[in-house]
Amino acid sequence: MRRALPSILSVAVAVGVSFIAAALTLGSVSQTASAFGAMVEGALGDWPRFFETGNATAVLRPIGEAATKAGLLTLTGLSVAVAFRVGLFNIGAQGQMVVGALAAAFIGARLSLPAALHLPLALLAAAAIGSGWALIATALKLWRGVHEVISTIMLNWVAVSLVENWLVVGPLRATASGTNSVSGTAQILPTAELPRVMAESSRLNLGFFLAVALALAVSLWMQRTRAGYESRAVGLAPRAAEAAGISVSRRLFEAMAVSGALAGLAGGVLILGTELKYPATLASPYGFDGIAIALIGQSHPLGALASALFFGALRAGGTHMQLYGVHKSFPELIQGLALLLVAAKLFWERLLKQRIATRTRSPV
Amino acid sequence: MNVLYGLYHPDGGELAFDGQAQKVRSPQDAIARGVGMVHQHFTLVPNLTVAENVVLGAEPTRGGLFDLEAAVRVVDETCKKLGFSLDARARVDRLSVGSQQKVEIVKALRRGAKTLILDEPTAVLTPQETDDLFRITRELSEQGSTVVLITHKLKDVLAFATRIAVMRRGRKVAEVRPADTTGAQLAELMVGGAMHDPAAPPSPLGATEPFLTLEGVSAEGLHDLSLEVRAGEILGVAGVDGNGQRELAEVVTGLRPLSRGRLKLGATHWSQLTPAQARACGVAHIPEDRLHRAMVADMTVEENVALGRQHQAPFARGLFIDFAGRRARTAQLLEAHDVRPRDPVARMGSLSGGNQQKLVVARELDTAPRLLVVVQPTRGLDIAAVNAVRQKLLERARAGCAVLLVSLDLEEVLALADRVVVMFEGRLNGTFTRGACDERELGRRMLGAAA
Repeated sequence: MRRALPSILSVAVAVGVSFIAAALTLGSVSQTASAFGAMVEGALGDWPRFFETGNATAVLRPIGEAATKAGLLTLTGLSVAVAFRVGLFNIGAQGQMVVGALAAAFIGARLSLPAALHLPLALLAAAAIGSGWALIATALKLWRGVHEVISTIMLNWVAVSLVENWLVVGPLRATASGTNSVSGTAQILPTAELPRVMAESSRLNLGFFLAVALALAVSLWMQRTRAGYESRAVGLAPRAAEAAGISVSRRLFEAMAVSGALAGLAGGVLILGTELKYPATLASPYGFDGIAIALIGQSHPLGALASALFFGALRAGGTHMQLYGVHKSFPELIQGLALLLVAAKLFWERLLKQRIATRTRSPV
Repeated sequence: MNVLYGLYHPDGGELAFDGQAQKVRSPQDAIARGVGMVHQHFTLVPNLTVAENVVLGAEPTRGGLFDLEAAVRVVDETCKKLGFSLDARARVDRLSVGSQQKVEIVKALRRGAKTLILDEPTAVLTPQETDDLFRITRELSEQGSTVVLITHKLKDVLAFATRIAVMRRGRKVAEVRPADTTGAQLAELMVGGAMHDPAAPPSPLGATEPFLTLEGVSAEGLHDLSLEVRAGEILGVAGVDGNGQRELAEVVTGLRPLSRGRLKLGATHWSQLTPAQARACGVAHIPEDRLHRAMVADMTVEENVALGRQHQAPFARGLFIDFAGRRARTAQLLEAHDVRPRDPVARMGSLSGGNQQKLVVARELDTAPRLLVVVQPTRGLDIAAVNAVRQKLLERARAGCAVLLVSLDLEEVLALADRVVVMFEGRLNGTFTRGACDERELGRRMLGAAA
């Protein structure tokens, strides 16, 4: 809990600062308050209206939207956090997500299988391809000494170019029916779709629950198993881990494989749950957001889940701020600010240490 | 020397320059007081030219732009004054090591150094370059500068110094003039009256089997090394810092790959050994670099106790961590080895150095090792902790464990070891048994003298 404190304070300060910034630019505190109110309403639902009219959609639709975004952010945030834990900076979640998305779109559209097989297979393919993409960077690091920040960031652009400039407009492009021009890949079959959980009131699908389950699983792995212990030791003190007989390169490989799989899965969930095909361009930077989510979550799996839930909700509510003249990218501004503040780690540590020091001294 | 250059701060006493007491808080202060330092590892920017390196940090400018010509002039003038030549426009990474050292000297002088500290300057030089260096330093001292030469090569100080101060364990033990002394006398002063510890009983050796055998082992930093450590014996490795002792410890613990030869642990031969295999054979390791090799500062004490045995009972149950078993064993060890605080969930990094070391020793002894590889086990510990650690090592050896003890502290080696081997430049340079140990001869061997 003490580790979470700097993040919680950072987020609080970021929200406060952005409120002031919005108030200054709008020139009206009450209008800003309405805008922020709309954001909360957009994220958590219009409860007053639900109680007045009994219209469940007023609550379910916003919550569903928030959870959908939070699920994707959880997966990419986990991806980055897992790599962090062994001391690797995986900036390539975006690229791994893009190739994963394409794999899911391909399997989802081209194979015809019963639903019980089709959906798991499409998700598995997304995870496997994402994992493979991440392992390119890992192999380069272990065998050729290429720093993973450089290789993963470059592989992002390789992935986007490969997928969007060639495969999606070339070999995998959907065939036009009649005179309608189509973009992107073919629509996935219903058997590969992630089932929606709230019928027609929201787009929320099983992907969110998958993400939460995986966050719990990763947490279990890191905190409770031998393998997780070894991985953490590798991340914190690689030379000590080596001397203790831990195979450092094996743990690095393993963590990067899982990291890539989680990012690839995010792509799979995005396609199979929301997009239903690979569009001409996948304008969803969830992979990059994952870096912020992981850092704000202190690289802890459950921290990443918490920060994904918060910012997923904020994102979903952001569009509602436009009614009050606040740009919908405002939640991203808050997220960026919070990240900046979390990065000022030393500042928080010093501040909190002082507080704790004075607190322990006073009762004596 | 680090105090003089402002890197360390004195706990007491004072520094005086030109007879005036002054405080040196940082290298900047030291430079301002006219102290220049040439480190053993150079601090040059390899892809800049000689002139650029010399003026780095205080570049001459003309009209706001870097004035290369002025920089070149500075270098040429200094070189002429001291009677050597340097191509001021050459890139530093194209120069020989000897020339790079000259660049360092010119750099220090450019900053107004009146006292020049040279840290092991001849370690990397050929004999010709060494002669050259001493010609320059003599020239400097004749021109009124002070030169402080730090070295462990007796030949160098005898040939070069006006006065020689002998330091041992942080104290000045003697000051002599080269004309009044000999190499043998100096060696004796350096090694000191390292007495045997009469309390340590000789080991009941003789018939025991060697547990560790090295047969013609070569590795990075080691050349064709053969030795054996018997069960129940402490083999001390003596030598001046950096002569392959650390490499030896790393080879035995599987951290350094062998390039030739093989080693035998118990009944098994290995030509390649991983740390995990070494541990499985009963090798425990108390490394010198505790902070990076022996512990994870950001983990808890109990997590550190599990390090190295994380896959076995009582630290693991199946694929999972056995939290209860780990807690119980940790509490036991903290109590038995008097580690403070007795808090299994304290952050390892928050413990004092002495308590960290006690915990590492406790953990490694708890593995019931058959061979204990110990490097500088008491460095930086207080007297009580030193005695506790030494006592544990002796107990283990008497209980039948083979101990390989590497220490730069000759007193420690002589106090504990049943046999002592001397290492010089990655090779063995003599073996001595307890009782038949002549310190003077030991000192000579440590400095490279042949039998």
